[in-house]
Amino acid sequence: MKKFLKTLIPFDIAKGLSITGAYFAKVFLTANRAKVRQHVVSEYPEVPAPLEPRFRGRVQLLLDEANDPKCVCCNACVKACPTGCITIEGGKKEGRKTRIPTRWDYEMERCVFCGFCVEACAFDAIKLNDQFELAVYDREELVLGLHGAHNVLEPSPVGKFSYSEEA
Amino acid sequence: MPTISMTQSIIISLVQCILVVVFIFVVVPLTVFAERKVLGYLQQRLGSTRIAGHLGGLTGLLNRGMWKLGKVPVLSYWRGIPGVMGDVMKLLLKEDIVPAKADKFVFIIAPALSFVAAVVVFATISFVPGTFFTFPAWVPLVGGLPVTGGIADVNVGLLWILGMATVGVYGIMLAGWASNSKYPLLGGLRSAAQMVSYEVPLTLSLLAPVLISGSLKFSEMSQAMAVGVPLWAIVPQVIGFLVYLTCGFAETNRVPFDMPEAENELVAGFHTEYSGMKFGFFYLAEYINMTVVSAMAAGFFLGGSWLLPFGLQGVVNPYLASLPTWLVTLLCEPHAIFFAAKIVFLLFVFIWVRGTIPRYRYDQIMSVAWKYLIPLTLVNLVLAAAVRLAM
Repeated sequence: MKKFLKTLIPFDIAKGLSITGAYFAKVFLTANRAKVRQHVVSEYPEVPAPLEPRFRGRVQLLLDEANDPKCVCCNACVKACPTGCITIEGGKKEGRKTRIPTRWDYEMERCVFCGFCVEACAFDAIKLNDQFELAVYDREELVLGLHGAHNVLEPSPVGKFSYSEEA
Repeated sequence: MPTISMTQSIIISLVQCILVVVFIFVVVPLTVFAERKVLGYLQQRLGSTRIAGHLGGLTGLLNRGMWKLGKVPVLSYWRGIPGVMGDVMKLLLKEDIVPAKADKFVFIIAPALSFVAAVVVFATISFVPGTFFTFPAWVPLVGGLPVTGGIADVNVGLLWILGMATVGVYGIMLAGWASNSKYPLLGGLRSAAQMVSYEVPLTLSLLAPVLISGSLKFSEMSQAMAVGVPLWAIVPQVIGFLVYLTCGFAETNRVPFDMPEAENELVAGFHTEYSGMKFGFFYLAEYINMTVVSAMAAGFFLGGSWLLPFGLQGVVNPYLASLPTWLVTLLCEPHAIFFAAKIVFLLFVFIWVRGTIPRYRYDQIMSVAWKYLIPLTLVNLVLAAAVRLAM
């Protein structure tokens, strides 16, 4: 009898329809609205993806007031790095008490973006920035140094993947 | 009413046919598009969005401009609509393969049968009772003549609809048989058994409106069910509506009952061997059948061209009589736009159910039809008879 009634009165179907109907209303009312910051569905290449505050992106060296790297070449990050992707050589500079890096190589192809180097640093000289579109055409571009167009001091030049002009 | 000559009546009928065909061929591609978008929304995605952005054309241009300004395009609900054009082009241009071992004549006639049976049903469906519009006086030959709301609102309209809808089963069955291949044959057999089974509760559920209205004419039934029944006639109407809708899903082979083309079991069912525009005709026929089922459900149960469903219009009309005249004309009189809106809503329900309910097992489908729906419709028929007796 119970089974008969359950088959006869479509409660389950109504429940399912209400769930999918709620999904429909949610997406229909929020999707494609520019003012709603967090969409149910992100349209990533066109709309920038919202990042969490603790997102771990690429390693970036921070600068002090004199526009020099804050790094004092203590090698704490090199020791902390599980993959050994950081190589530092220190030197001297006039008017600066601490040492200054003459070479600061970061091999992004080996980096696992764990953030141990940031934790190990006692001088707050490194951060993991919020970049994640890090693809390059040439493997050698993944080795970042202090010089060159693609370096550890600035954010990576990010290609515009949103859409291309040539259809 | 002026007397109408033969030529004039032929011209008026042609105008009605053109209007109905335009309605069908506007609604059907939009339903195909809406199916993609609504299914996406039901599953918390956006459906097809990537087609307009990289193509030329107006939408592509506008969308590109808006992305450049850093805004989500206003046309975003319509992104992806060029995909429908792409579909049509593909169906028209694709090679039309006839298998070597197929029965050629039946193989070619089957999609046509399916398609024609679906379209022809619209002849007796009346969009609005009485006059739809009157030709202005300056129109040559037919100036000043009224155009009725249906092409041929004959006295046995319901019989015509049910009869032609049954012919549609032949299209699917013959397609399955003529393909000379095992999966189409299984699909055709299943669909034959399923559609014959569901024909019974479908017809029985439609007998309740026939009993209450005492007519087989579409416009009269629609009018009687909308404004001619007391409030407590809502019980057989609601039960009949739900049963009718269930059987309608089964008759159109839509998702909870899509046995003939169960993709994971039968490749694509009866149209496995079909390609090109022959497949396109099956595709069109499915969506036109959906429209027909929606139109009948709207006409018989949801109040047709009146505003309120389930006969509530006749209950509230006396209370609304004191409103201003234009409001009374809008709310209490029949309008074709209400009928069309109800059809569109029911098409949305078709997609909504597709996005919600998984496919039944084959024996479950059969047991639902024979063990539950048919007794239910018989009980409903008794209720309708009681309503008729008390009216």
